[in-house]
Amino acid sequence: MFGLSNPQRFMAFTGPLTPVLWGLAAVLLGVGSWLSFSVPADYQQGDTVRIMFVHVPAAVWGLGAYAALGVSSFFALVFRHALADAAARAAALPGAAFTALALFTGSLWGQPMWGTWWVWDARLTSVLVLFLFYLGYMALRASIDDEQKAGRAAAVLGLVGLINLPIVKFSVDWWNTLHQPASFLSPGSSGLDPVYLPPFLTMLAAYGVLFAALWLTAIRTEIRRRRVMTLRARLAQEA
Amino acid sequence: MLDLDMTPYAAFVWPAWGVSALVLTALTARAVIASRKWKGELARLETDQAPSSEAADSKRPQVARSAIGPKK
Repeated sequence: MFGLSNPQRFMAFTGPLTPVLWGLAAVLLGVGSWLSFSVPADYQQGDTVRIMFVHVPAAVWGLGAYAALGVSSFFALVFRHALADAAARAAALPGAAFTALALFTGSLWGQPMWGTWWVWDARLTSVLVLFLFYLGYMALRASIDDEQKAGRAAAVLGLVGLINLPIVKFSVDWWNTLHQPASFLSPGSSGLDPVYLPPFLTMLAAYGVLFAALWLTAIRTEIRRRRVMTLRARLAQEA
Repeated sequence: MLDLDMTPYAAFVWPAWGVSALVLTALTARAVIASRKWKGELARLETDQAPSSEAADSKRPQVARSAIGPKK
């Protein structure tokens, strides 16, 4: 595992793995979409239950991507590891996009079910804060010319943002919210009707594999970009 | 069997799925385009560098280049 912290070994290992992940993500998304429109409508929510199959995976992997960003930031900051810095940077854009999708699809689900597009309850607000952390991370990196300084400053922000993850997860338990509590893998809850489990789990896996493919591809691209910058600097010195 | 009739919630279900598909496609396209761009740029620079290091070698003094040859 630690051997992969060497960029050359990382490139050699992920080279054949990345196309497999892309293919698997495409298959899972196709199967998951088909299953999502094959299950019957919910007796209370009607067809809006199908929004769950894109809303929950986006929210889960929006959080997962931030965990990846935060852990990578920790290694980048403590061990000054270039690959960890590249991994943190690579997780930001897909994570922000997934979180934005969770907010957007949640709003579309909320209007017919709650009668409102948005409410400042703890879950919705903490997810919005998560999205703002992503934006802040990317803006901070872009605003500093020196890449090393930018990486360090952004890593500090990335670590601070980790505090928000348990707040997002437990907001529905700690506060009285309009958003429903966790209904999947939650002890004591009524749980999800078994008929919805196949599309739900398939879409959850599809988004996860897609995130892995996006992340690995972005890390590989970042390694190549840095190599290009080094070569350009060397050529400029020789000239 | 597929059920694509979302009445009366079509205005909520289809935008949620449509925008999700659009964003995921855009993320994928961006990742692939960026990957190809930097892969190509790196390959070009590495091929550019190979002759330049050869050229740098040819500037060495003759004695240095012949020093690695077999001893007569």
